[in-house]
Amino acid sequence: MKQITIEVTVNGTKGKLTIDPNKRLLDMLREDLGLTSVKEGCSEGECGACTVIFNGDPVTTCCMLAGQADGAEIITVEGLAIGGKIDPVQQAFMEVGAVQCGYCIPGMLLTAKALLMKNPDPTDAEIRVAMSGNLCRCTGYAKIHDGVKLAAKMMKEQQKEAVNE
Amino acid sequence: MKEFDFIAPRTVEEFLPVLDQYKEKAEIVAGGTDIVLEFNERKLNPEVVLDVKKLKELDYIRVDEDYVHIGAVTSHATIAANEYIKENVVILATACGNVGSPQIRNLGTIGGNIATSSVAGDGLCAVLTLDASVVLKSVEGTRVMKLSDFLNGEGYKKINALKANELLTEVFFEKPDKHTATAFYKLGKRKALAISMIGGGMVVKVDDEGICTFASLRAGALGRYPLQLKAAEEFLVGKKLTMDTMMASLPIIHDIVYESAKTRPSVIYKKEAVQGVFHGDFQVIEDQLNKNMGGIR
Repeated sequence: MKQITIEVTVNGTKGKLTIDPNKRLLDMLREDLGLTSVKEGCSEGECGACTVIFNGDPVTTCCMLAGQADGAEIITVEGLAIGGKIDPVQQAFMEVGAVQCGYCIPGMLLTAKALLMKNPDPTDAEIRVAMSGNLCRCTGYAKIHDGVKLAAKMMKEQQKEAVNE
Repeated sequence: MKEFDFIAPRTVEEFLPVLDQYKEKAEIVAGGTDIVLEFNERKLNPEVVLDVKKLKELDYIRVDEDYVHIGAVTSHATIAANEYIKENVVILATACGNVGSPQIRNLGTIGGNIATSSVAGDGLCAVLTLDASVVLKSVEGTRVMKLSDFLNGEGYKKINALKANELLTEVFFEKPDKHTATAFYKLGKRKALAISMIGGGMVVKVDDEGICTFASLRAGALGRYPLQLKAAEEFLVGKKLTMDTMMASLPIIHDIVYESAKTRPSVIYKKEAVQGVFHGDFQVIEDQLNKNMGGIR
C-alpha cells in the first residue's frame, strides 16, 4: 500500500499530510490531527455525530475516505472559536440549554453553522430540514431548534454592531 | 479497512486507462455513502480505490433542446436545489431531496445511486420512471443504453451492465414539456434518514384535451429494481387524466404489488401502503397539470 500525500485546509490552516489511504476522513481528523471533537457514532452515515463542514457543506466523515479531502477546506468545532471567543452557535446552545450528554453536539453545531453561513435567516422549516441528519438520543429536539434560532439572532446582532462600529 | 492504493485522477481521459489497468481489482468511490461503509466493514476489499468525485467535468446539469443531461458525480443536493429540475422535473427534485439526510445528499451522487443499483435507490427509481439512458465510457469507447437495459445487463458485478473497465459518466432523459407531469413519493419509517420502504415514481403525458398519452409508474424497493406497474400504465393511457381516473388505478396497483411480492411477509403491508404512496403522487400530478394546462378539463 502506497501512502498518499494530500493538501488540506483544516480550521484555516493549510498543510500537507502524508497518510495511509485506507482510512476514513473521520479517522484522519481524530487520529492524525487530534481533532477529537469529531465523534464516531453509528459509522454508517445515519446519526450525524461525525459531521464537519466540508467546502461549506455539512458532510458525514464516516462515509468519506481521507484521500477525498485532498484540496478541501474543513471546519471542525475546534475551528469555531476565533481569538478565544466562542461562536454564536456555541453560545446560543449554552444559553438555551440545548446540550445534555453532549455527544451529538459537535455535529449539531457544525450543521447549524453550515446552515447559518449560507442562510443567515432560516425559517423554522428550514432549520428542521437542515438539522434532520443529526440525531440526539438524550432529548427532544426543541431546545436544539431554539439554539439555532437564537444563534441566527445573535449573529444578526453581531453584524449590526460591526456595522455601527 | 484492508490496505489499498488510492488514486484520484483529475480528468476522465486520465481515469479510463487507470480503470482499464486494474479492472475488477479496483472499486470506484464517488460519494462513498454506501461503498466506504463496505470497505470499513471489510465486505469489499479492493486492491485499488479510484476516486471519481474529483472529476469536475462530470459535475453538471445541462439542458439542451431535447434532453436533460446530468453528470454522474452531481450530488443529490445539487440536483434537488437546481431551479430547472425543481420547476420541471419534480420527480427527480423530490427523490433526490429526500435521500438520507442533508449530509448524505451533499456527498451522494446520482451516478453512484445508479451504479450501485440498490433495491431502494430513490434517485434510481426517479430516473428509471423518466425512462432515462446512461452513458458508459471505457478505453474501448462509449456505450449509451436505456437505464432499463442497463439494470438487466450482465456486467461484471451481475447487478447491472457495467463492465469492469467502464465508468458511468452521465444520465440523460427527455426534457419534460408542459404536457408532462411528474411526481415522487417516498414512504420511509421516518421523515429523515430513512431507507425507502416504497418509493413511488410517476410520469404522465397528456394531450390538449387532457387525455393521457403516456404513463410510467415505478415502485422502488418492491423488487430487485424499481417495479414497473405496467397494468396501471395501460389503464391510464387513453383516459382523461382526472383524479377519479387515477384513483381507479389503485386496485390494479394493489394487485401488481401483491403478485410480485406475495412470498414476502411484508406484502400485507406493502400492497396497502403502495396505494397511499401513489395517492400522494396523484395529488402532485393533478396540481402540476392544473398549473401547466389551466386544469384538467
